[in-house]
Amino acid sequence: MSARSKRMHRWSGWLFVSPWLLGLALLFVYPFVASLIWSFTEYDLLTSPRFVGIDHYERIVREIIQGKGFGKALWNTFYYAAVSIPLSIMLAIGLAVMLNWKVRGQAFFRTLFYLPSMVPMVASSILWLWLLDPRDGMVNGLLGFVYETPPLWFQGIQEGMSFSSPLQFGSKDGLTLMSLWGVGNFMLIYLAALGDVDASLYQAAELDGAGWLRKFRYITLPMLSPIIFFNLILGIIQSVQAFTQVYIVSEGTGQPAEASLLISLQLFLTAFRDLEMGYASAIAWVLFVVLALATWGLFRSSRNWVHYRGVRM
Amino acid sequence: MNKHSGKWKLLTLLCVSGLFLLPLFLMLLASVKPAEQLTSDPYSLLPESLRLQNYQEALQSIAYVKYLANSIVLCVCSVMGTVISCSMVAYGFARIEWRGRKVMFAILIGTMLLPWHVTMIPRFVLFSELGLYNHLAAIILPTFLGDAFYIFLLRQFFLSIPEEISEAARLDGLSEFGIYWRIILPLSKPALVTVAMFQLVASWNDFSGPLLYLSDHAKFPLAYGLEQFVSSYADQTHLLMAASVMFTLPMVILFFVAQKSFTRGITMTGSK
Repeated sequence: MSARSKRMHRWSGWLFVSPWLLGLALLFVYPFVASLIWSFTEYDLLTSPRFVGIDHYERIVREIIQGKGFGKALWNTFYYAAVSIPLSIMLAIGLAVMLNWKVRGQAFFRTLFYLPSMVPMVASSILWLWLLDPRDGMVNGLLGFVYETPPLWFQGIQEGMSFSSPLQFGSKDGLTLMSLWGVGNFMLIYLAALGDVDASLYQAAELDGAGWLRKFRYITLPMLSPIIFFNLILGIIQSVQAFTQVYIVSEGTGQPAEASLLISLQLFLTAFRDLEMGYASAIAWVLFVVLALATWGLFRSSRNWVHYRGVRM
Repeated sequence: MNKHSGKWKLLTLLCVSGLFLLPLFLMLLASVKPAEQLTSDPYSLLPESLRLQNYQEALQSIAYVKYLANSIVLCVCSVMGTVISCSMVAYGFARIEWRGRKVMFAILIGTMLLPWHVTMIPRFVLFSELGLYNHLAAIILPTFLGDAFYIFLLRQFFLSIPEEISEAARLDGLSEFGIYWRIILPLSKPALVTVAMFQLVASWNDFSGPLLYLSDHAKFPLAYGLEQFVSSYADQTHLLMAASVMFTLPMVILFFVAQKSFTRGITMTGSK
C-alpha cells in the first residue's frame, strides 16, 4: 500500500466511526459531566442550577439510614434482585437442560418456551396485572383452594414475604413472577452452551459410575459457570434498570405503601414528577458507583468459581 | 436411555410448555369473552360466547390506528438509523487500521456498562433545548449515532470476513466507502438482519422513551398509548386484552418468521 493511501486509510477510520463519536460526546460525555455537576446543585429545569454542596448526598445517607425514599427504593430493588436473579438462573438452566433432551420435537418446544419472551413488556405487564388481581385474577382463583386469605400481589403493602406471613406474596413477588415468565433469552444462551459441552466428559463420568446429579454438579455446572456469571451481572443491571413493568403495575406511582417503588421508578419520579433534577442526579451517581463496585466485586470473586476452558482469567 | 424415560421427558416438556403458554391463552380467551362474564364469573376458562366485537370496540376506544402509524414510523426510522450507523462504525473498528482504534473500542465497550440513569436527565435537557421535546425525533435521533452492543456484534461478524476480499477490491480501485457499501454489507446480510430485528423489537416495545419525550396523544406509539388506557379502562378487561393481543401479535409473527436470526443473535450475546 502506498504512503498516500495509508494516510487516507487512517483518516477514513475516524470518518467511519464519526457517528458514534458524535453520540459519545452528546449522549455520554456531556451527560456524564453534567449530571455530576448537577448532583451538587438545586435544579428544577425552569431556573438555573444553584450550588448546594453535598446536601443531596447527605440526604441520601440519611434516607438510607431511615429506610425512606431512596433507602426504601434501594431495599425494594435489593429484595427483587435477591429473589428474582437466583430463581431465574435456576429456571433458565432447568429449561435449557430439558430442551437439550434428545426427544422428538425439540425445536418445537424451544419455540414454545421462548414465546413469552417475545411478548412486549407493556402487554405482559397488563396481562399479569389482570392475572394477579387479588379478587378477579386467575392466579388467586387457583390459589383460593389453598389459601385462607389469598395474596394481594400488586396491591399488597407488605415489605416482602416474612416468617409471620409466609407465602403472602406482594408486589415484588409479582414482578419476580413476570421476570421468570420471560426467561427465554438466557435459556437459549444456556442451551447453546450445553451443546458445546464435550460428550466424552459425560461418557467418562458414566464409566466411573456417576449418576445424573453428580454429572450435573461436576460437569454441567462448571461448564455453564461463565454464563451463570454473565447472567448474574446482567441480572443485577436489569434489576436496577427495571422500569416499564414497575411503572405499569403501580400506575406510575410505586404505590401502595411504596412496595413496588424500585430504584428506576424512584429516580424517574424524583426527576420528572418532583422536578428535583439535582437530587435525582445525585441518586444516579450513587447508583452508578454502587453498580460499579458490585460488578467489580463479582469479577474478583469469579476467579474462584467461574471455570474458563483452558484459559484462566 | 430406555423408551420409558423418553416418554416421561416428553410429558414433562408438554406440561412445562403448557404452563408457559397458559397466560397467553388466558389473554387470548379473555379478549373474546363478553364483558359481563369477566366480572360475574372471573375464573371461568372458556368464553360463554365468542365475542369478536371486542376487537372492533378496542380499535374504536383506543386510537389504535393512529398509535400504530406512529409505532411504524418509529420502528422504520430507528431500524434504518441503527443499521446504517452501527454497520459504518463497526466497519471502522473491524476493517480499517488507525491510531487510537484500540482505545476508542475500549471506550465503546465501557459505555455499555454505564446505566442509563446517569445520562437520562442531561439527555432530556439537551434534547429539549434542541427543540426535540414532543417529537418522535427525540427517540429516533440516538439510533443514528450508533449503539455499542450492535456495533460490537457487527464488528465480530465483519472480522470474520477474509481481508483478501478487501485487498482485491482496493486493487480494483474501489474506495473505502465502496468496499463497505458494495462488498462488506452484502456479505453481512445475516448479521444485519439480526441487528435490524433486535432494534425493531426494541422500538416496538419502547416505553420509557415516549414516556419521557412525548406529551401529545397524537404522537404516541402503541406501547405508550396502550398504557394510557390501563387506568381508564381498568374495568374493561375484555378491551384491554383485545388491544394487548393486537399489540403482541406482530412480535409473535415476527419471531416465527425470523426465528433463526433471533436465536443466532441471542446465543452470540453469550459467547464472548
